[in-house]
Amino acid sequence: MGGTALRGRVWKFGDNISGDDGIIEFSIIREGFGKAFDEGALRAMCFRRLRPEFPTEVRPGDIVVGGRNFGHHNHVEVSVAMKASGITVVVVESCESGIIRRALNVGLPVMICPGITDAVADGEVLEADPATGAIRTASGQHLQSRPFSPRMVEIWQAGGSIPLLQREFAERRARESQEMDAR
Amino acid sequence: MAGQSVAQKILARALGRDSVEVGEYVTVSADHTVCQELFWPGHQRNLERIGVGRIPRPDKAVMVIDHSTSAAMGSHHYQTHRSLRDWCTAQGIVNFFGPGSGLRHLVMVENGLARPGMLIFSDEGNIASLGAVGALNIPISTEVLVSLIEDQNWLAVPPSARIALTGRLAFGVTARDLIQTIVRDFGATDRLLGCCVEFTGEAIAGLSMDDRQTILASLFHSGAYTGVMPVDDVALAYVEARAKGRPYQVVEPDAGADYVLEAAYDLSALAPMVTRPPDLHGGVPVDDVSGQRIDQATIGSCAGNRLEDMRAAAAVLRGRQLAGHVTLYITPGSREVYSAAAREGLLEIFSDAGATVLAPGCTTCWGYQGQLNDHEVLISTQQFNYQGRNGSRLADVYLAGPYAVAAAAVAGRIIDPREMLAETREHA
Repeated sequence: MGGTALRGRVWKFGDNISGDDGIIEFSIIREGFGKAFDEGALRAMCFRRLRPEFPTEVRPGDIVVGGRNFGHHNHVEVSVAMKASGITVVVVESCESGIIRRALNVGLPVMICPGITDAVADGEVLEADPATGAIRTASGQHLQSRPFSPRMVEIWQAGGSIPLLQREFAERRARESQEMDAR
Repeated sequence: MAGQSVAQKILARALGRDSVEVGEYVTVSADHTVCQELFWPGHQRNLERIGVGRIPRPDKAVMVIDHSTSAAMGSHHYQTHRSLRDWCTAQGIVNFFGPGSGLRHLVMVENGLARPGMLIFSDEGNIASLGAVGALNIPISTEVLVSLIEDQNWLAVPPSARIALTGRLAFGVTARDLIQTIVRDFGATDRLLGCCVEFTGEAIAGLSMDDRQTILASLFHSGAYTGVMPVDDVALAYVEARAKGRPYQVVEPDAGADYVLEAAYDLSALAPMVTRPPDLHGGVPVDDVSGQRIDQATIGSCAGNRLEDMRAAAAVLRGRQLAGHVTLYITPGSREVYSAAAREGLLEIFSDAGATVLAPGCTTCWGYQGQLNDHEVLISTQQFNYQGRNGSRLADVYLAGPYAVAAAAVAGRIIDPREMLAETREHA
């Protein structure tokens, strides 16, 4: 695997899991709609409906594996909850485009990989590389997902769109001030 | 080269290329980025963190205050209204629409900002209603900020699906009943997942622009990413009246375009539908829930707030009174709809019936107004029915078209609206 591969313990979930009404319970936190995210509250509710032990037992670096139509109907808080729980990558059979966007925007890669459900068991170790699309199971099976574009890799590695833009704008300002000095 | 779908052609044009491949990740500049105000405080914090001065293309930004229509006591929205207005002035953003202007969906088409062939980045999937004028909505959620700052963003070229429509809607059946049927059929599957749905077929000529927008606005509940209607004479007449000389290009799919799914619906076979809580795919014929008591009814939201929704509500409410225990809120979708409803005497009918007309905006759809107590029951034309959408998590939300919602408000319980409509017709 390449230098960008993520390796972690798998939490495996089934098909048709709702984002707002499954991964989190959006109706509880909707009072805060549009305000800064309450990451503590999101961590505490993340996946608890489906796996009550998840919030206390999830460890930084763990990986979520989902089935078909994973996270349908998801506000951005769904992605924030998984990211804040320490999940580093989500690998699913299928999902709508919106969750890929919202998750990447907060620095969490979501990879579509048909066949992943049968290839991996709950609790096993999985390797996944968003940059190359390569996925490897504990038993050594290789699966291939579509690689992220270079820009998407940059967003992921910066920890999200805003941190990336923050860095790029700072670099731009530094460059401009150097050019001014040189004149 | 394989044929290109409408979505592929619009994206290829935006990229200055001949074609794009489905699934390809591209970075592209949109013709407009449209944004609501609710996340503005967060956007503003991020603009400051990043240190953004002037945005590159203020002419492309369309900023609309639609979720919080009033600067009400106890809310923080009045501060958002001020800061967004000031930022737009400072940036030279001409397309700022203040509270009461209406929803982004309507503002975009009514003002000719969305036109055939245009690529629009927006913050919500329901803005696919722009597909009624042949514009492609790409929902990018809170990343609208990235597009405003960079004048571009990444996306995966969506696969396309095709849904053919035949027949005519029967008496008392609306476009909303069609989309609730489609969502029932596809919402719990991944068959339309991530697709741009191209609607086609002879029935479209008989659908109004309002019908087409209603279908597209709730399409995302089927799993689809976005959608478009053919730009026919009806659509062109609408566009021409509003384009004011600004350019557009009608895009048609190639004959050999690839569709991951093809489906067909006969409109004449549809009946009034009601979607049960809490799932969006829980649509059933109205008879299955007939007799269900309701406490509140609301007509509004991007799923049902256009002039024809107002006319449908009035067709039921004319000369009738709400049931004594029911509250009915009606929200026209824009100033244009509000004015037209006033001219046609619809607002008078609503008021005489005992309904409350609210200022154009999202209002009751997200619980900004019309909050529910425990165990209260709402029937609404709105987008969502999950627990807690409109207040109490113990309240139930049923979704339906404007006839069924208005009829339930009069009866105090869910009924087949065709009974009242038939009485009205006999009377006339």
